[in-house]
Amino acid sequence: MIKTSVVGSYPKISSDKNVPNLRTALNQFEQNRISEEKLEEVYKATIIRVLKEQENAGIDIITDGQIRWDDLLTPFSRNIEGCEVNGLLRFFDNNFYYRKPVIKSKMVFKDFTTLEDFKFAIANSNKTLKVVLPGGLTFAGLSLDEYYKDLMSFGMDYSQILKKEIQRLDMEGVDYIQLDEPSLCFVPQEISLLKESLRTIFSGIKAKTILFLYFGSIKNLVPELFDLPVDIIGIDLISKPENLSFILEADLKKELILGCLDARNTKMEDEKEILKLIEKVSMKIPPEKLYISPSCGLEFLPHENALRKLELLSSIAYKFNKTGV
Amino acid sequence: MLLTTSVGSFPKPDYLIKARTQFSRNEITEEELHLLEKKAIAEVIKFQEEIGIDILVHGEMERGDMTTYFAEILEGFGISGLVRSYGNRYYRKPVILGKVKRNTPITVETFKYAQNLTSKPVKGMLTGPYTMMDWSFNEYYPSRKDTALALAEVIHQEVFDLEKAGAEYIQIDEPALSTRPEEINLAIEAMAIVTRGIKAKTISHICYGDFSKIYPRLLDFPVDQLDLEFANSNFSNLNLFREPKFTKEIAVGVIDVHSHKIETKEQVKANIKKALEVFPLEKVYIDPDCGLKTRTVEEAQAKLKVMVEAVREVKKELGIK
Repeated sequence: MIKTSVVGSYPKISSDKNVPNLRTALNQFEQNRISEEKLEEVYKATIIRVLKEQENAGIDIITDGQIRWDDLLTPFSRNIEGCEVNGLLRFFDNNFYYRKPVIKSKMVFKDFTTLEDFKFAIANSNKTLKVVLPGGLTFAGLSLDEYYKDLMSFGMDYSQILKKEIQRLDMEGVDYIQLDEPSLCFVPQEISLLKESLRTIFSGIKAKTILFLYFGSIKNLVPELFDLPVDIIGIDLISKPENLSFILEADLKKELILGCLDARNTKMEDEKEILKLIEKVSMKIPPEKLYISPSCGLEFLPHENALRKLELLSSIAYKFNKTGV
Repeated sequence: MLLTTSVGSFPKPDYLIKARTQFSRNEITEEELHLLEKKAIAEVIKFQEEIGIDILVHGEMERGDMTTYFAEILEGFGISGLVRSYGNRYYRKPVILGKVKRNTPITVETFKYAQNLTSKPVKGMLTGPYTMMDWSFNEYYPSRKDTALALAEVIHQEVFDLEKAGAEYIQIDEPALSTRPEEINLAIEAMAIVTRGIKAKTISHICYGDFSKIYPRLLDFPVDQLDLEFANSNFSNLNLFREPKFTKEIAVGVIDVHSHKIETKEQVKANIKKALEVFPLEKVYIDPDCGLKTRTVEEAQAKLKVMVEAVREVKKELGIK
């Protein structure tokens, strides 16, 4: 049985005009036309809707859609002492911008970022939940470091902050914890540093741990990638279709998430082709160790298209499981 | 020498923002909206003339987003639902659903209207094929290359018509170019189609990216002039263009368009002088980093005034008329 999952983000506003609209609420809040409590209500209604939409689509492992997150780094970066949040920069090759963290002094844990949202999600959903956080290489790669000037010491302090957040989530009973590391594809030489820090971060964690790479090629990361101390590796097979061949060639013991639906294009994939792709991989890795997901977070798509991709994902898994096992 | 210009967009006046909202709610007619767009364009032209800008822009008062505007008129495009670009900002993204075709000129009427208001040259303003491709969803063409080259043919038709209508300067913006350095050859191939056989001066504005990855290949970009941002990074990217030597005309961004703060004349003069250390005087144009549409009308005007005054003084110091 293969399982379905999302990568993390989900469109914050619905194509249905009759549900609370977070964009409108944020505008009204900024103009002092609604209270903070009212805004909070809209946030919660949105998160509940996003959880339900994933459940109804039949997704096995869901997230809260990162509804409070402006980008992969904010608000996590706002909860780190020594880190200021600066101007907008392009997020990889997307027409999407993130706020750049600027490291001014030693980074120290200030507050939990995902804890309250996780508790809220678990109280409002019966599905398996996953929490997603920015990995160290990606955080370092996307920020401006005016303090450490050296990736190793940067990484050590950042790992401590991640560890604190993750340990607490683990205590609360989170099922899956994922670190997003798109930057790893672009700095493959840092994989041994990453390996060390993952060991620190995930030691003693009961939840299943995931490292997800998107946007880039894993060409220069194999075979070490499949030895990293995590339970599951997520790979984007859309941005770089060549990634499939590296999976097929590898000697794989790990579980894998196949990012096999394009989360950055509205075009709907051909179901049969994706089924063929999964069959190919399942010759190497037993289906119990396989997950399928979109290629990255779904927030690059309009809401109605994101939903359609989820339904397709679910239908593919259903068909595969019906015939495949 | 040291002619002044702008990158393209100006802030929309309040009455036009209101009218655009009313139009989207069907509260006013298209004709009523067009009249107000024309009024706003006339104001932008008049302001630039008054402060003494050399090469004018019409301010893109009729456009919302720089890709969606063209996608709404071209055949083969649809428009998506809302996608977030950052913070609480959303836009609708073009979706390519079929073969892209231009049934009618898109920008020519507006160009003619603006040019008739002034004896100074007004730039024709277009979005380039690489950017149109990169910033659209694609459900039709088999590859990014096929998409960009098909768009290039269509945009070429528009450039041709702008030239025929008397445009001396035609700017084809490619802000997406610097984000995927590995695709610069595709962007060049597409732009070569766009500017094929064109005698008007062609310009391309590129922003938000790391130029070190595409320089000096950038010098092969088939336009006469490149328009780049410098002020917002405090000219840290300037050294890159020393070696090998920059061979095209260059419009140098000396005003930070993302900051509310109005630069002082001394700051802008220093910026211009920095640029002149690297670029030959006869090839340099002066403008802001990027479009001014995110500033208020007052900020945009104040910034441009400072820019023109600074250029005037630098010219005087250098003994240029």
